[in-house]
Amino acid sequence: MSKARKYTYFPGCMIPYRLPHFELTMTEVLKKLGVELETTPDHSCCPEPTTFTGVDFEAWVTIAARNVAVSEAIGNDTMAMCSGCFHTLAVANHMVHEDEELKERINKRLKASGLEVTGSHEVKNVLHVLRNDIGLDAIEKIVTNPLKKLRIAPHYGCHLVRPLEATNMDHADDPQWMDEVIRATGAEIAEFENKMACCGAPIMPSGEDKAVTITSKHLKNIKASGADAIVVVCPTCYTQLETQQAKAEAISDSEFRIPVLYLGELLALSMGLTDLVTANQRRYHRVKITELLEKAGGAS
Amino acid sequence: MLGRFLIIDLLLNPDCQKQGFVSTMVTKGKVLILEFRNWLLDQPEGETLLRCYQYGRCTSACPVADIEPSFNPRLFLQKILLSDELIAEEQLVWNCLTCEQCEVHCPEMVKIPHILILAKVRGLMAGNVPAAALDRAKTIVSQGRSLPVSPPMLKTREKMGLPDLGTPPMDQIVAMLADIGIVSKLEKVESVYGGSEDE
Repeated sequence: MSKARKYTYFPGCMIPYRLPHFELTMTEVLKKLGVELETTPDHSCCPEPTTFTGVDFEAWVTIAARNVAVSEAIGNDTMAMCSGCFHTLAVANHMVHEDEELKERINKRLKASGLEVTGSHEVKNVLHVLRNDIGLDAIEKIVTNPLKKLRIAPHYGCHLVRPLEATNMDHADDPQWMDEVIRATGAEIAEFENKMACCGAPIMPSGEDKAVTITSKHLKNIKASGADAIVVVCPTCYTQLETQQAKAEAISDSEFRIPVLYLGELLALSMGLTDLVTANQRRYHRVKITELLEKAGGAS
Repeated sequence: MLGRFLIIDLLLNPDCQKQGFVSTMVTKGKVLILEFRNWLLDQPEGETLLRCYQYGRCTSACPVADIEPSFNPRLFLQKILLSDELIAEEQLVWNCLTCEQCEVHCPEMVKIPHILILAKVRGLMAGNVPAAALDRAKTIVSQGRSLPVSPPMLKTREKMGLPDLGTPPMDQIVAMLADIGIVSKLEKVESVYGGSEDE
């Protein structure tokens, strides 16, 4: 293995403190791929982009830019696993880059702590790291348990992908990068209608019925594709599609029972790290994944 | 005053809208009376509002409008163009998913979810903020996390062999936000919505 790639890992809140199996599986997968992650206690909540923005946008962009400035001072590229964190840091970074007045205003606030934001720092999601920095060939090479029997529906979620000028993703309506990483594990892609549909989560605090209706429409499309599982990157999408799946079933009077895996779990299954997934399956999966694990094979 | 009525007339006249007069004829200089609108135009990326010519693709692309006809992004933009500040107190604006389907399909790439975010910000002091959003904001400015970190969760992390992430330097962060005044604002605001955090 060539020399380790180093990133400043931005943990956020949802992954480390609600869904730590995300962090566990992805960290181990990245280790196998020669990636080293560093954390710092100086990072705070990104802050999350779905409600804090509407409370006080100026505070949101300032805290976000501060987090980017903390990373800048360390020097390595920043990698977030959470799409919300990634979106917040990438958007704030982009806004600072484009708006001199905003940059000046924020740097004035940062001055006392000796930090500075330039707008030129590299903010990446784990998907950028996997697909572009590490590359599909390197991933394929360490797959020991090709997931040939699985058909996977990739759910990208909105905040990972949009707006393109800040996220530097491949396409706003029809992104392919996660499809490619999933194929590298040997699994097949299950195509479904409205690939970039929103999971519904952002409006749970203001309109739960509407949120869950949107979730159920999305799950219906995925169910029709015959997918064995949905794979997500974002912890908020996971909560909506997985944890709240029963609510989506109730509101639409349907039965979905579609297992949802985090991308790190899927990769772990393909790389012989099955134990990491099985050890936590009951605690973090409400929709049973037992059949899926059997189909995936590779259990030790 | 004459200028004001002329502009509002232009904004309301469908023929003018179709021909794109609205985006070209309304300038910041001419609408000084329109306070809410001017405030919004001064915010980062707020000025993209002026590119809106009420085409309506935002509404046809919106997954919320699809199930709730009273949620109409095109009409929201029209109200904001007219500086109708009442929109800041409409609970409906909080039903925006921020999914950006509207922005992706807008021929002028108007930053629609962002403009609705600014409308929400404007409605904060009137209490137009879901209780869960307000609670979360308070947790963020007091603990530096969007959710309370529990001792059992710290144990779980330890068992999994995950690193101790420490605690964010809140004194430094709160001091940095002093000129924005968010801490005192959050203390004063009372949500007009019922209920509390439920995730």
